Amino acid sequence: MPLLYLLACLLFAARASAQGLPTEPVSVAGGRVVFGGEVFVTFGEKDPGWFNYTDYEYNALRNIRLSLATEVRASQRLQVLAELRLDHGQHFSAYALFARIRPWPDRRFDVQIGRVPPTFGAFRRTIYAYDNALIGQPLAYQYLLALRTDSVPLNADDLLRARGNGWLVGYQVGSAERSPGLPLFKSNLYDTGVQVHGVAGALEWTGAVTAGSLSDPLLTDNNGRPQAVGRATVQLGPAVRLGASGARGAWLDESLDSALPSGETARDYRQDAVAIDAEVSAGRWLGRAEWIRASWRLPALVAPLIADPVVAESFIVEGRVRLWPGVSLAARADTLQFSDLTGSTATMQWEAPVRRFETAVTYAVTRNIGAKLAWQRNLRDGGRVRHDSLLASQLVYWF
Amino acid sequence: MKAFAAALALSALMLAAVSAVAAAAADPTARAQRSAPGGIRGRLVLAQAPRSNERRPEVASPGAGGFRERTDRRAGVVYLEQAPRGAFDEPVRVRAVMDQQNERFEPHLLAVTVGTMVEFPNSDRTYHNVFSLSRAKRFDLGRYATGKSKSVLMDRPGVVRVFCDIHSHMNAFVLVFAHPFFDVTEPDGRYELANVPPGSYTVVGWHEGEPRVERAVTVSSGSWVELDLSAP
Repeated sequence: MPLLYLLACLLFAARASAQGLPTEPVSVAGGRVVFGGEVFVTFGEKDPGWFNYTDYEYNALRNIRLSLATEVRASQRLQVLAELRLDHGQHFSAYALFARIRPWPDRRFDVQIGRVPPTFGAFRRTIYAYDNALIGQPLAYQYLLALRTDSVPLNADDLLRARGNGWLVGYQVGSAERSPGLPLFKSNLYDTGVQVHGVAGALEWTGAVTAGSLSDPLLTDNNGRPQAVGRATVQLGPAVRLGASGARGAWLDESLDSALPSGETARDYRQDAVAIDAEVSAGRWLGRAEWIRASWRLPALVAPLIADPVVAESFIVEGRVRLWPGVSLAARADTLQFSDLTGSTATMQWEAPVRRFETAVTYAVTRNIGAKLAWQRNLRDGGRVRHDSLLASQLVYWF
Repeated sequence: MKAFAAALALSALMLAAVSAVAAAAADPTARAQRSAPGGIRGRLVLAQAPRSNERRPEVASPGAGGFRERTDRRAGVVYLEQAPRGAFDEPVRVRAVMDQQNERFEPHLLAVTVGTMVEFPNSDRTYHNVFSLSRAKRFDLGRYATGKSKSVLMDRPGVVRVFCDIHSHMNAFVLVFAHPFFDVTEPDGRYELANVPPGSYTVVGWHEGEPRVERAVTVSSGSWVELDLSAP
């Protein structure tokens, strides 16, 4: 059914743009229905360290994506937005589907209900090739950690043994099947819930109550306690923007309830996260930075106990400069560091620290067709593969 | 002797003819009557109303963008395919302005001659980044704030598509001509090409995104040709 819908949309868009590939959004019905889209093909070298793998067990540097967004403007007060996406040539989903209600059309205040865009973070739009100056995503938004919602370590030793194996991890408590872990922030899935957004002068704010958690956004909540998430930015003149984000939600699956210490349920195990970010731009330069701190509470089952929430911190800095018309150079450096955990034999960070550096050159063939060439270096203080260097290319078309 | 007389008569005849031509040329009234410029006017009719440029569906945004006036895209350009001789004698050095207001370029369509310096002032409260990747002119003005202006010298004829790197729904056209025989149409399609020297020309009607329409026309001295063009 969704495939039929996608084909219908494409046919509609193609008819509306008889000149060939559209170069701008295609509108029909007097502008009441607008289609936009993005197609990209990314081809990168093999990633033996699994640094770029996502929750789909697929390499983000090897992807073919077809994405079609639709906005139906029923009235000034009500719009319905949807995004259908085909990833890796086979994962098809209604990525976004929500109603946007504007109670006062002349004010910038929106209520969005349904599968809504993520609220947290400054780099969340890097999932769109159009919005990403590079090819890869920041580690905090994509890298898989040794954490699962349905399987938890028995003790500190169990967790420490899994360091650097987030791409395929399993523990003794809960689901016995090994599967990919969670990223700090799973930005490649939209949230489901209610989101409120407003703009007052230089201040822009968003708050949402959604199912799941930052690491694991869900269609329906898996523990009966939804996530509260918010973000605010302030524009200090045209050149500088500062932002802050926060999220709190129960992250463990209720299937673990019977394995948790008595009197506790999955609702009691929270993921908390805060972030601050800044964006500075001038002339041909654009710079962004973000610091994120997230913590997950794990059950203290057997000694050596995981007594305190495990913490991850990420720092991301990114810059882009336009060298010539249509040619830009970008670079990003980011890290993931973790809190110390004491096991039977040693104290070390509970996950293997990771660093990534990526640089990319983008050439715009036309305004909406571009090609990127990127080089990425990953370093990890643990796991089977400690480092790798990858070359990747990407062709992007959007309208 | 006969040959000498014939040559003398022929020379006298040529001298008389040259004198008559010279006299006629020296008469400004006669010259003006013969080569007074005419003009071409009419309407460029669009087969269907042009679509307004919409924002991309704001699926990834937590809220809708601010209010934005829609761009009037009805204007087209009518011009002579080949300019008459003498059209390039005086190089033009003028300035033109394409403003950025309410996240749109104003005007949406600008027609200028080669050598024109086009200013792009930013009258919005946000940054804009004007650029073009057109063959006729590639440029990138970078980001600049409200009250600032940057300019581009249009030094080659052609179509220059102009965009903002920050606001993808902002786009405009600058048509650069090597001669002055062009006119941007009114919203109802009316145009007027004045001071066209007598002669035969190809008139072209152009509208963004549509195939151009061409018509042959002959302009007589001192007269206006009525010519309506229908864009397909």
